Amino acid sequence: MAVDYDPALINKVFEVTEPVEVKPEKIKRYCAALGETNPIYTDEEAAKKGPYGGIVAPPSFAVTFRNGRHFFENVPRFGRRGFDAGKDVEFVSPIRPGDNVTLSSHVKEIYEKTGRTGTMVFVVIRSTLKNQKDEVLAHIDHRFMNRT
Amino acid sequence: MSSFEEINIGDTLGPLELFVSKDQCRAYAKIMGMGDIAGRFTDDEAAKKEGLPGMILPGNMSLGLLSKLVTDWIGSSNAWLTRMSTTYRVPVQPDHTITIHGFVTNKNPADSTAEIDVWMENEEAERLVTGTATVEFRK
Repeated sequence: MAVDYDPALINKVFEVTEPVEVKPEKIKRYCAALGETNPIYTDEEAAKKGPYGGIVAPPSFAVTFRNGRHFFENVPRFGRRGFDAGKDVEFVSPIRPGDNVTLSSHVKEIYEKTGRTGTMVFVVIRSTLKNQKDEVLAHIDHRFMNRT
Repeated sequence: MSSFEEINIGDTLGPLELFVSKDQCRAYAKIMGMGDIAGRFTDDEAAKKEGLPGMILPGNMSLGLLSKLVTDWIGSSNAWLTRMSTTYRVPVQPDHTITIHGFVTNKNPADSTAEIDVWMENEEAERLVTGTATVEFRK
C-alpha cells in the first residue's frame, strides 16, 4: 500500500534559518560535554600543525544547529505521534570558529515500511548547513517514524 | 591508525567505555538549547511522565559519542569522517556505563574510503544505538 501524500511536498524548501555564529566557547563546551580531548578540536597551538591549520569543531557539531520554529510544523504526520528514528549526516567541510551557519530544510522523501510491529511511515527531512561563503558544511537527513 | 594502506577489514575501533552522568547529559542538552523544551533530557520526573524509565540522552548526543569513537581512531591523521548514520533502537539512560564498539567492514581503494559499523551497548550488551560511518583518507 502506498502512502498518501501531496507530491508537491517533496523538495520544496520550507525553511532557511537566520545565520548563527560559531563561537569558540560553544565548541569548547560541546567538546567538554562529549569528553572530547582530540587536540585538533581543543588545542589552538596543536591544531595549527594539524590537517586543518587551526581548530575545527568535531564533525558531529553539525547537529547542534537548531532548526527554526517552523521546522516541526512542516514535518508531515501520519497516524500516531512521530518520533526520531535516526539521522544520516554527510559531513562535507569542517565547521570553524567564526563561521556563520544557516540551515535550509526540505522534505526529502516519504516511504512506508512494514515490520514485526506493524506499518510505519518514515518522513525524511533534509537540512543543508552552509557558511557565510555559501560553502556546504553538512547535509543532515532527519528520519521521523510514525506508526499507522 | 595513520594511513589507508595500514587498515584492514575487521580492524576494531575502541571499545570506548563511558559513564555518562546525568550532569553531563544536562550539559549537552543545555548546549543544544533543549533544556526548556524537552524535560526528558534533563529531569527524571518529566521523563517518567512521558512513560520513560527516567532521563534519557538526546539522540544527537549518542550520534556525537559514536562519531567520537571514529574521530579518536582517526586521531590527527589526514582523514575525515564523511558520513555517520544512526538508528535509535532503545532509549539511552545516563548514570549507566555504556560501551561503544566499531569495526571496519569494507575498504574502497578507488576513493580511499573505509566503511565502519558502530554501536552502543549497555551493561547487558543490549544494542541501544547502531550506526555506520564512512572515513575518507586524504593525501
